[in-house]
Amino acid sequence: MSDATTLLVVKDLATTFATPQGPLPAVGGVSFTLNENETLGIVGESGSGKTVLSRTIMGLQPRRNVEVSGSVLLNGFEVVGASEQAKRAIWGLEVAMVFQDPMTSLNPVMRVGKQIDEILRVRLGMDRHAAKARAIELLELVGIPSPAERYSVYPGELSGGMRQRVVIATALAGSPKLLLADEPTTGLDVTIQAQILNLLQSVKDRMSMSVVLVTHDLGVVATRTSRIIVMYAGRIVEMGSTRDVFARHRMPYTRALLEGSPKVSNPSHTRLLAIPGRPPNLLSLPRGCAFAPRCSFATDICRNERPELEPSLEDGHTFACWNPLPVSQGVPA
Amino acid sequence: MSDTTQPLLRVRDLTVTFGAHRKKLSAVAGVSFDIYEGETLGLVGESGCGKSTTGRALMRIVEPTSGSIELEGVELTTTSGKALRNLRTRMQMIFQDPISSLNPRRRVKDIVAEPLDCWKSVESDERTSLVNDLLNKVGIDPEIYGNRYARQFSGGQCQRISIARSLAMRPKLLICDEMVSALDVSVQAQILNLLEDLKIEYGLTLLFIAHDLAVVKNVSDRVAVMYLGKICEIGPADTLYDDPEHPYTKFLLGAALEADPDSPVHGEVLTGEPPSPMNPPSGCRFRTRCPNATEKCAAEEPQLVDIAPGHQVACHYPLSTLIRREPAA
Repeated sequence: MSDATTLLVVKDLATTFATPQGPLPAVGGVSFTLNENETLGIVGESGSGKTVLSRTIMGLQPRRNVEVSGSVLLNGFEVVGASEQAKRAIWGLEVAMVFQDPMTSLNPVMRVGKQIDEILRVRLGMDRHAAKARAIELLELVGIPSPAERYSVYPGELSGGMRQRVVIATALAGSPKLLLADEPTTGLDVTIQAQILNLLQSVKDRMSMSVVLVTHDLGVVATRTSRIIVMYAGRIVEMGSTRDVFARHRMPYTRALLEGSPKVSNPSHTRLLAIPGRPPNLLSLPRGCAFAPRCSFATDICRNERPELEPSLEDGHTFACWNPLPVSQGVPA
Repeated sequence: MSDTTQPLLRVRDLTVTFGAHRKKLSAVAGVSFDIYEGETLGLVGESGCGKSTTGRALMRIVEPTSGSIELEGVELTTTSGKALRNLRTRMQMIFQDPISSLNPRRRVKDIVAEPLDCWKSVESDERTSLVNDLLNKVGIDPEIYGNRYARQFSGGQCQRISIARSLAMRPKLLICDEMVSALDVSVQAQILNLLEDLKIEYGLTLLFIAHDLAVVKNVSDRVAVMYLGKICEIGPADTLYDDPEHPYTKFLLGAALEADPDSPVHGEVLTGEPPSPMNPPSGCRFRTRCPNATEKCAAEEPQLVDIAPGHQVACHYPLSTLIRREPAA
């Protein structure tokens, strides 16, 4: 891993929204790095800050009532604090994003081809004919049948899976180095989900990009990522190679996520590991570990002092926990 | 589950057609199954396959176009008025969106008591104790939360309240339509465990409709797979998942993502998308996407036939027979 070039360095990144009820720390101090050609998974439940984190990396946040601190260094460009104009220069060319809902991320009254053209003409300065030819190439790349005809349909005429392919095509138009995919397959059927994930993997290899896959579904990241970040209440609670996180996790929350999700390979009526309660309200986070109120291993120190990410024995595997699970506790792979 | 016992619910050739004349959409196109007392039948399929419409037709929230639904030997499709109202207390439904299925302006204890109030079946002090008991059963403290409004609860808690309400009339059959799809993993596990406990305690029979294969397997004794308005395979959960007979079931299982880095990444991914139910293919409805389809599949519609005891498949070329013929495949 040491030979690979680092593409993205996130350091102490915090995003706090000002709400009428007080400051809401959606992301509370997150640090990690991403190498070129790497696929990183960010996993968490709703409200864990995974979406805000990915949007902050992109530099997408409301103009008002939000405070971002820390640093996001993307290929040498500091995103935090950059002007809109400066960020516009990297959007599409350095970093692009695929959102969950393929309907609302496309303009419903604009032909799909034109939406791909736009970026080619405005950002890459292509002329009309070259842009159209390239857009059709991109539609073909993302597996849309008869791309030349689909070039001039409206998003409403396409199915959800096809629309997500178009969104991916627009994201790829500027050949970005980093693709942020925020729940790209949630809301799609399983067979379509498999198609889209395979597509993301094949375009990643072909265009040598790095991909950040943000999802709530552990199944999505299990076989498609090299590293995983597990988030809870705006912070990283465990991070490591995909294999380590699945098989040798130390943080009780990671275990709850893994053993709480039903598996196709388990016999029917398998009892699930259910942890009580629900994720905390970010407006009034507990003083110590945010997971302590739901954790069966919690002791006084967990309730009073927040654990920092500490490296485990394995290479690059870190977790934030005062009472980590013993190594053997992990689910046998 | 021997053949001699009478099923609790017997569904035969159920069809639901929306629209008329040329714009006919057959959402459910001839579905037959039995649910025996005390078992859970899972119903899986992709969006648009008609699984929710099937559930709704059983409750007669949408009217079945033809076919027969028998609950404990009583025909549901021909009853109406008071008799239907009476029958409906025997079956209850839990919906996907827990927040919109509860009235945001009513107190939790009144929401749970509503079925009792409708039927004026209990006295007021008994009503209170029944409601408190139900809320306790689903893990909501009636002393603290009974007087709060539904809008003050999270999705998981709302789903608990929905469960309490559905149990108020002591139904025999519970139809759960995507009841955990909107919940986070940690909350989903709580609700699924709760459902298993209550099923035993209240002697419930469940029809569990969901798109998530892992969730369905976890709760079901038997599973039915639907494609484009028809059941293509039905069988015991473990057998069906281990040795699927219908090619569609196999593809569906292959596409399911397992939370295990060592699970094989399936190279074989089903191509294309389901055809429109407005204009389904002739013969077998899956033939347009099936790698094993022949002319027979286009000409002749396969019927659900027994391939093993309790395991039925609607396919001219079930996978086990195919493997025997060409070992290379």
